[in-house]
Amino acid sequence: MSPAKKLQTLKQEDFDRLLAWLDPDPGRAGILYERIRWRLIAILASRGCAIAEELADEIIDRVARRVVDIQPTYVGDKAIYFLGVMNNVHHEYLKRPIMPRLVEIVDDGNEKETTHLCLDKCLDQLSPHARQMIEQYYAENKRAKIDLRKRIAAEFGISLNTLRLRALRIREKLQTCIEQCLEA
Amino acid sequence: MDDDTRQFKESNSQEFSDDAIRRFLFGRLSAAEQATFEEYLFTGESLEARVRLAEFDLADDYALERLSAADRKAFEKKFLLSAERTRQLKVSTALRDRFASTTTVAAPAPKGATASISERLRFLFGLNQRAWRLAFGVAILVVLVGMVWLWVKEPRIKEGIKAGIFNRRAPVPAPSAPRMAEHSNNASSIPEHRITPLAMPPHEPTASPVILSVDLMPDAPRDHAQIPLIDLPKGEHDIVRLQLALKPNQTGTFRAELLTINDQSVFIAQSLLSAGRDSGKIAFNVPAALLKTGDYRVSLSRADDGSKRSVASYYFRVR
Repeated sequence: MSPAKKLQTLKQEDFDRLLAWLDPDPGRAGILYERIRWRLIAILASRGCAIAEELADEIIDRVARRVVDIQPTYVGDKAIYFLGVMNNVHHEYLKRPIMPRLVEIVDDGNEKETTHLCLDKCLDQLSPHARQMIEQYYAENKRAKIDLRKRIAAEFGISLNTLRLRALRIREKLQTCIEQCLEA
Repeated sequence: MDDDTRQFKESNSQEFSDDAIRRFLFGRLSAAEQATFEEYLFTGESLEARVRLAEFDLADDYALERLSAADRKAFEKKFLLSAERTRQLKVSTALRDRFASTTTVAAPAPKGATASISERLRFLFGLNQRAWRLAFGVAILVVLVGMVWLWVKEPRIKEGIKAGIFNRRAPVPAPSAPRMAEHSNNASSIPEHRITPLAMPPHEPTASPVILSVDLMPDAPRDHAQIPLIDLPKGEHDIVRLQLALKPNQTGTFRAELLTINDQSVFIAQSLLSAGRDSGKIAFNVPAALLKTGDYRVSLSRADDGSKRSVASYYFRVR
């Protein structure tokens, strides 16, 4: 059976059981599920897997189907179990005659415009301090990245590393906000 | 296993360098490094957070064209492999489009370059910092409160401001109707610019009218038949004007004290000036409300030579 077929046949009760196994609290289980999926994708992509998201879903499906058997006896970090299954699935993937696929960057004018509108909307939701920081951080000249970041960090009275972390955390929030805006 | 790989394996998630994280994202770790990194990524939370931020950093570097040609290729082939990362790149591109054009304006100037005066002042005084902004806000508040306090507590300021406002608001008199008619009749000649003020409304008196004026002679007899009689006015704000006749050649400044016949002081008038050599009188007003039925004495004394000596007494009766 192909992975796609298996994905389709994953029963809701298996998925619910998986979440319950990860954490009895549904909210925490959902967060843990997302984090495991993100880690799987990051590792598979790092291994050069062109279908990292598809393979990550396949790994989760396999674990979900096995939960009913392993649940009574499994001891230890449950996330590690995914890592073991991932290695098996990745080995199988490497044996498949699959041509590498790249995610195409489609230059859609409308989508670009919508993204810009959402960006403006999300920037407006930032605090004045965060807005100022992100503006300066992204206004920097590509040829003088280090010098300018030092100046910005000095202006805000923080270290270079703290500046980077703060700016990237704001960037992370912007990403979430823009994705929600685009879906709306 | 070489030293680098051994060191890499012995490291914990906090010690993975940013370079190691970027090599992971580019798929450039050795097999041993990759296994160690994957294990830490799956079991530790801090490394996951760092890798997530490093993904944004990498997408930004690509969008802002900060990567070398080799890294750009690696980014496209090894990093851009998920829809999530593609979305990250779109946002990075949007941020670049939004802010990168303002590079020379918004970003502080590099070392040696000239900065604007306002920018220099901001850096010099640290005005961008929250504490300074708060301090200036408090200072402005204190000044405002002080001004309000002065306004309330210092009537002279209030009066001065009021006077200033009224002076500015004084109406500019309009030309009277006859003058306008005159203008129209003599259009060729240059009219004389004369302003005739409009008739002002009658000024209401602030003091009560003098109801009663009494002339008193110095050292007149106090007997029942000759003492001047005053019929006390009944109005609350009425005034009795007492006019004291001076002795010949008496001039200068005087003080008059109104006393009951038992020498109980009722009213004092200071700094009274005689009207002149010819008139020989001193006058002052006494509120009628102070007077009751009975006999009174006015003691007049000098106030200008320091002696304060009594110069005359005046008697009258209120009925």
